[in-house]
Amino acid sequence: MSAQVPERYRNDFLREVEERVEEGRWVKMCMQCGVCAGSCPFGPHWEHSPQKIFMMIRAGKRAEVLGSDSMWMCTSCYNCIVRCPRKLPITHIMHGLANYAHRLGLAPKGQPTREFARLFWDNCIKQGRANELKLTLGLYFKDGLAAGIKTALAMKGIGLGMFKAKRINPMELFGGHRIKDVKGLHAIIAKAREIEDRRKGYTS
Amino acid sequence: MTARVATNESILVVGGGISGMTAALEAAECGRQVILAEKTPTLGGRTALLYRYFPKMCHPVCGLEINLRRLKANRNLRILTMAEVVRIEGARGDYTATLRIAPRYVNENCTACGACAEAVASTIPNPYNYGLDRMKAAYLPHAMAYPQRYVLDPSIAGTEEGQQARAACRYGAIDLDMKEETIALKVGAVVWATGWKPYDAAKIQPYGYGRYANVITSVEFERLADPRGPTGGAILRPSDGKPAKNVAFIQCAGSRDENHLRHCSRICCMASLKQTQYLREAYGEDARSTIYYIDIRAIDRFEDFYQKVQHDATVRFVKSKVARIAEDEKTRNPILHGVDTEGYHHYATSHDLVVLAIGMEPEVTGAQVPAEVIEDSSGFIEGAADGGIVAAGVAAAPLDVNRAVQSATAASLRAIAVVHRAAATENA
Amino acid sequence: MADMKTAAYVCSGCGIGDRIDAKQLERIAQKEGKMQLVRGHEFLCSAEGVALIREDIAKEGVTHVAIAACSRRAKTDAFAFEGVAITRANLREGVIWSQPDTEDARELTQDMADDYVRMACAELKRMKVPAGNPDRGTSKRILVVGGGLSGMTAALAAAGAGYDVVIVEKQAALGGRAAQWHRRIPYRNPYDAPVETGIAELVAAAGAHPRIKVHVNATLAQTKGAPGRFSVSVCVEGGDMVTEEVGAIVQATGFTPYDIARLPELGGGTNPNVVDQAGLERLALEAAAKGEPIRRPSDGGEVKRVVFLQCAGQRDDSGAHLPYCSGHCCLTSIKQAMYFKDASPSIDTVVMYTDLRTPGLGEDFYRAGQARGILFTKGRASSVTADGALCKVAFRDLILDEDAAIDADLVVLATGMVANSGVNIDIPEEERQKMEVKPVSVLNLAYRQGPDMPQLKYGFTDSHFICFPYETRRTGIYAAGPVRRPMDMAQAAEDATGAALKAIQAVENAGLGRAAHPRVGDLSFPTARLEGCTQCKRCTVECPFGAIDEDEKRYPLFNESRCRRCGTCMGACPVRVISFENYSVDTVGNQIKAIDMPDEFSEKPRILVLACENDAYPALDMAAMSGAMYSAFVRVIPVRCLGSVNTIWITDALNGGWDGVMLMGCKKGDDYQCHFVKGSEMAAYRMSKTDDTLKQMGLETERVATYEVAITDVARVSQLINEYVAKIQEIGMSPMKGFA
Repeated sequence: MSAQVPERYRNDFLREVEERVEEGRWVKMCMQCGVCAGSCPFGPHWEHSPQKIFMMIRAGKRAEVLGSDSMWMCTSCYNCIVRCPRKLPITHIMHGLANYAHRLGLAPKGQPTREFARLFWDNCIKQGRANELKLTLGLYFKDGLAAGIKTALAMKGIGLGMFKAKRINPMELFGGHRIKDVKGLHAIIAKAREIEDRRKGYTS
Repeated sequence: MTARVATNESILVVGGGISGMTAALEAAECGRQVILAEKTPTLGGRTALLYRYFPKMCHPVCGLEINLRRLKANRNLRILTMAEVVRIEGARGDYTATLRIAPRYVNENCTACGACAEAVASTIPNPYNYGLDRMKAAYLPHAMAYPQRYVLDPSIAGTEEGQQARAACRYGAIDLDMKEETIALKVGAVVWATGWKPYDAAKIQPYGYGRYANVITSVEFERLADPRGPTGGAILRPSDGKPAKNVAFIQCAGSRDENHLRHCSRICCMASLKQTQYLREAYGEDARSTIYYIDIRAIDRFEDFYQKVQHDATVRFVKSKVARIAEDEKTRNPILHGVDTEGYHHYATSHDLVVLAIGMEPEVTGAQVPAEVIEDSSGFIEGAADGGIVAAGVAAAPLDVNRAVQSATAASLRAIAVVHRAAATENA
Repeated sequence: MADMKTAAYVCSGCGIGDRIDAKQLERIAQKEGKMQLVRGHEFLCSAEGVALIREDIAKEGVTHVAIAACSRRAKTDAFAFEGVAITRANLREGVIWSQPDTEDARELTQDMADDYVRMACAELKRMKVPAGNPDRGTSKRILVVGGGLSGMTAALAAAGAGYDVVIVEKQAALGGRAAQWHRRIPYRNPYDAPVETGIAELVAAAGAHPRIKVHVNATLAQTKGAPGRFSVSVCVEGGDMVTEEVGAIVQATGFTPYDIARLPELGGGTNPNVVDQAGLERLALEAAAKGEPIRRPSDGGEVKRVVFLQCAGQRDDSGAHLPYCSGHCCLTSIKQAMYFKDASPSIDTVVMYTDLRTPGLGEDFYRAGQARGILFTKGRASSVTADGALCKVAFRDLILDEDAAIDADLVVLATGMVANSGVNIDIPEEERQKMEVKPVSVLNLAYRQGPDMPQLKYGFTDSHFICFPYETRRTGIYAAGPVRRPMDMAQAAEDATGAALKAIQAVENAGLGRAAHPRVGDLSFPTARLEGCTQCKRCTVECPFGAIDEDEKRYPLFNESRCRRCGTCMGACPVRVISFENYSVDTVGNQIKAIDMPDEFSEKPRILVLACENDAYPALDMAAMSGAMYSAFVRVIPVRCLGSVNTIWITDALNGGWDGVMLMGCKKGDDYQCHFVKGSEMAAYRMSKTDDTLKQMGLETERVATYEVAITDVARVSQLINEYVAKIQEIGMSPMKGFA
């Protein structure tokens, strides 16, 4: 423990979170009541509740916090925000932390929510619109061909239903529609990223 | 408008709870002229509705009895009940206060014999039991009520029942023609002691107060434990009248919460610790109390009491703000969901009864005082900038009884200093 | 009161006349009670009824009034006649409302009413109109002991209301401990930053006030006298003595921080970089004076990290340290952490607590601290060790549930307040002499019962009563500020103002010769027929208020204006020489003898109930109001306090053929509820000694029983009576009937 001691319970990581994580400046306002932990529908499945994450941030547990998969499980139900007696924007902080961990490459590998998020982002950015069919298939086949076929078969009833209801167009598989100025979008996103990086002091 | 004899050397005390009574008595016992105005039909306020005090487990009405005796013996004190202060004009040393006095429909002939109540059948929700039961529409508020004089509820004043009540009274005490009266008083200083009210528990949506029968507030629990209360002191569940042996106490119900009351109400931790002992007294080793808390605020020497309760095997502490309550449809047991933050353990615990340690908010906020006063971020009152109106007790800050009385005693001297200076100026 | 004229008024209203033969009561009052004037009325509390009594007082010269109507607690506005002796026979609550309204019950109900009228007449004849005590001090000056925040506030508050004040301060200047503070916790809206202490302004105001006189470098050498006439020898600079005549005293002697050297495991007393909260204030003041940041004490190094350990040596249930919480320390640590954060936000500040206690609007201050970046950790520190110039704090993190450590340049221990209350008079003198550090008295009271105020708990001189925080066991002396109870500056200022009021009240009451709380306005006072006194000292020892001293011949020396009129001395006196004008061995004794005692074969036992007038008597009234019935065999006599019950009443009752005696008083023990402190306990003790007497008389010990009855025991009190009566019926009638 001794090597770790000087790092612990210093405000360094808290400051980092305040500066670089969306709504991170709220973390210090938590009074550890635990109502967020109890309010979360995913609570029992998490390793760390928001309240515990906040305490870990204060305790300087950088690697454990950023490597935690807890933030990735937030479904944005907003129960915690509604009940938090200190009005912390907990949902936003959790997403901010996830984003930050991802940016630093510290987020847990193979975490399904994170994988989905990446898939969704790439899918969306590519043509400026979400291609639901490709996104779905990408998700089905992310663990290999056999697993993909199995999942696809299991979901076929739903797929057919959606097709009949004109919610899915099989033609989307081939190219799919796009926005007019994809290049422009890419430029916007690049600029936004640059601004964010500058503001939050990311170097990479 | 009737003018009453009062001068700028008189002190007006607004509110007849323990703080107002104290402020009034202390000044009167220093030889000052005091008018005590109370909005309801009786003095005593909220402490008269408590069963016991922490940490001594003694009875609030014992102190009330002493205060009433002091008051009965004092000639410097005039009491107006059912009187609401609606306007205060002027400045320190020279105020004119306007009071609206609601009709009681019973005059000073009343001997409190109770014949009118026997003649009346209608009932109204009993505010002295926080509406947990009903009382006759002709009533003596409670056994310790002062003045010891009946009241006719306005709902029957103009009815046949009102006539019956009048006919039943042998002493001509019932006066159905009484009208609202407005009076003006000249006073030098005002002590504002309007106290507190429990926060509206129904606003704390996840706890289901008002939806679940077995979720009640701490002030209601006091009435259940009190032998003078609706159950004769038996701690029973509202849903089925069965003994409530396994009780959850939820701290900070409304307090320390940006969505409700931002301040800490100070008394609730001690009140819950005390209430666990009611349960122990009622059910012995079979009692099960669980206190769900954020911080136990057993301040100064009250710490003893906390330590004593910690050693009580029937009481368990869980450091957690309860997230939500569900109800078991079959048993009507409230089920508490949350996480114990010490070590992070999820729970879903069933209890017979849930008591919300409800927060205190000012009965009258600074903004509602009919005069220019300074208030804090929660509406508690500091007083007028020139010091001519001073707040006392829980009107000034969330306080326990002991501190409220201390505050009222201090306020009383501040008011005396104001009228003393007013008199000095006049005589100069 | 040479010409005594008695009158009895029997009311037949509220159903009394329907249930009882009121005419018979009038006859009894006249023939047996020997009342000189007897009148009946069907609505006595009416304006007309009251006018009748007033007229008799004015025209007939009536001096003694017996009112047979409702309880003495009811209709007090109507039956208030100044300058006459009044007694009340409780026919309504005490008879008709506590008895069933049946034909069968009629005879016993009438018996009860008859006896109550006999008793009232018997009492009345022995009563005198109290004239106020002759020990009227005339000094209205107020002495304030201690010139800190509390003392100065009390002094200015009293002076502001027109009273002269003397402050005695031990140190060389006014200001007290708060003068050593850098800033104070905010005490009014907005609660978001430390504020100026305001002590310099207070010192200036107290120093300049024309009504305030100040002695510095001064202590009290002796305090003698009583409210209205205290004579205080003040030892001033150079050892000279000055005598100050004052009417009341406010003791505002403050506190001493708990010695951090007792916390060596937390580095207290050994590590220069571990300080207490007072130590940090000193550092902050010094730094502010130099216009520099606070530096590390050991080497003047820069302070980058500060850890505040809450509850250091407090809230301790092991017996090693202070068991209580000092109330202000959480807020004080937040304030002190702000000193650092406001100087430089980059300084890390951690407050380690188990329960963060920021009551009321203190929650705003807590939030403000968090917003400043002060870190709050729920944890329990086990050790602080030095590592070069750094301190290593080892602790258990209670949220993350693990052992952890933290290093800091400075550690602040939030130690508690120890009251400067002088000598603990409950510890016998001999033992005090043997103590390692001999306690020094603050007041040096020349009182029989010891030189200082009695302490409630943990050295604090607090009141025992929730409803009455200024209840004192030394009349005219009021504790204020942290000597009374741990508290912060805002509360101390409030407390001091309240104490000043009580001091003012004490001088006013003393000037009129009347009692202080709780029997305010009572003009009766104890007198002793010293020719009968055996110098047994029971009264001087047992007086709960230290009102009685002993003269050089060891006779009791009453200081009436210290007396609270409880009658404990009267109850204690074995030779019955102590009495009050309107409450004496005779006023009660005569009632006991006045009833019509049925004979041994009547199957009508008689049970005497001596009920504390504050709790048991109201409970009986309320039992009757709620319709609870109790046996018609009891006769209730209200007493000022169970402590005033003299055993002669018990023996007289038993000799007179009463079948049993019930004493009803308040709860005793640590959480006693007796407003005269020990009344109930004294009574229980005295009654425990009556067993032998009973045996000598050939009576069963059950014939005398003591009960604790609370005012809320509305249902229980009638049950108790009924059970006791059943027990007496089982034992059988007293064999003593007919001998008296």
